[in-house]
Amino acid sequence: MYYYIYDEFVSEKKYERELIAIENRLADLGIAGRVARLALFKHADALIADELRRGHIETVVVVGNDRTMHTVSDAIAGHDVVLGIIPLGPDNQFAKMLGIPSGPAAVDVLSARNIEVIDAGRLNGGRFVTGVCFPKEHGTVTCDNRFTMTSERSGMIEVRNLACGEVQAGEIGNPTDGLLETVIAVEPKHSFFRRASGHKKSVVGSKEIEIDFPEKVTATADGKEVESAHFSITVEPMALKVITGKARMF
Amino acid sequence: MAKEHLQETIIAQGVKVEGDFVSEGDVIIEGEVKGNVKTKAHLRVGESARIHADVSAKSAVVAGEIEGKLTVAERLELGERSIVKGDITTQVLSIAPGAQVNGILTMGGGHPESSGHENTLE
Repeated sequence: MYYYIYDEFVSEKKYERELIAIENRLADLGIAGRVARLALFKHADALIADELRRGHIETVVVVGNDRTMHTVSDAIAGHDVVLGIIPLGPDNQFAKMLGIPSGPAAVDVLSARNIEVIDAGRLNGGRFVTGVCFPKEHGTVTCDNRFTMTSERSGMIEVRNLACGEVQAGEIGNPTDGLLETVIAVEPKHSFFRRASGHKKSVVGSKEIEIDFPEKVTATADGKEVESAHFSITVEPMALKVITGKARMF
Repeated sequence: MAKEHLQETIIAQGVKVEGDFVSEGDVIIEGEVKGNVKTKAHLRVGESARIHADVSAKSAVVAGEIEGKLTVAERLELGERSIVKGDITTQVLSIAPGAQVNGILTMGGGHPESSGHENTLE
């Protein structure tokens, strides 16, 4: 059975026509189901827990964007359900990585039900699926409690399960290898006589990552901000079943 | 089902690693490493790399600096700007003119018709 969770913003007038087309297509393909709408006092975890108590849900479908997906993926942790997405509006990088087109076309992908099992991650206890981006500061990265990485100058640090932010060609992680990729991008030193060559980004795979900054910074996980000076990140191998399209990027 | 994928590890210039670094896949080092480096696959040490560690790999191409024991199961190539201060153990060795090596070199196996005696240069 399908359970649709609509983000609050999809009620806006500008999405009305698209939403009607989506709902018609769901009915045409016979995959319409119960609908819940997120609101100020209606949180995804409570809605999903209620629905699971009521009966059998096979698939939870997010109708919204990356932030909606982030909230719902955390709420379904520990439950044996499949996650689907119907992306609406901007900020839909996760749907792009899964190969899910926007709007009514997403319904056909949902109906085809091509399920992949992928890793997820935990950032200071909260779940994320795509990755965590840190600001350009001097951080110390400790991987699997075995080695540390630091940079000569401030660099961008990312921890990827898939990708952080806007997806660049060839810069997507493998979400099925049981590892998270730590990426540190530091501009190499140039000298007058020698042009800097070689790789600009360090890439290391590990299961546990601790990142410490001298002061509090704001990291972004699946589009959601988390503020701290210490970040503890672990991989959840094969933790999430997702419906993907043919154009998926992994 | 998880896909078979041995991830490539890259330590770029400007990054420093300290500790025991172990990998299943290929490793490229262009930064600084202190500790131990171990991979079951191929290791490439770039010109800008400075490694103060014992290094172990299946095969390796070195263009930078290594201070420590270097153990390569199959083939080791030392480039013209490479500097190795430590003992080397490998099966097949290629040294370009200009490479600097200061340590004990131990080689063994190689040609199928060989008697398998170890060759040691000091």
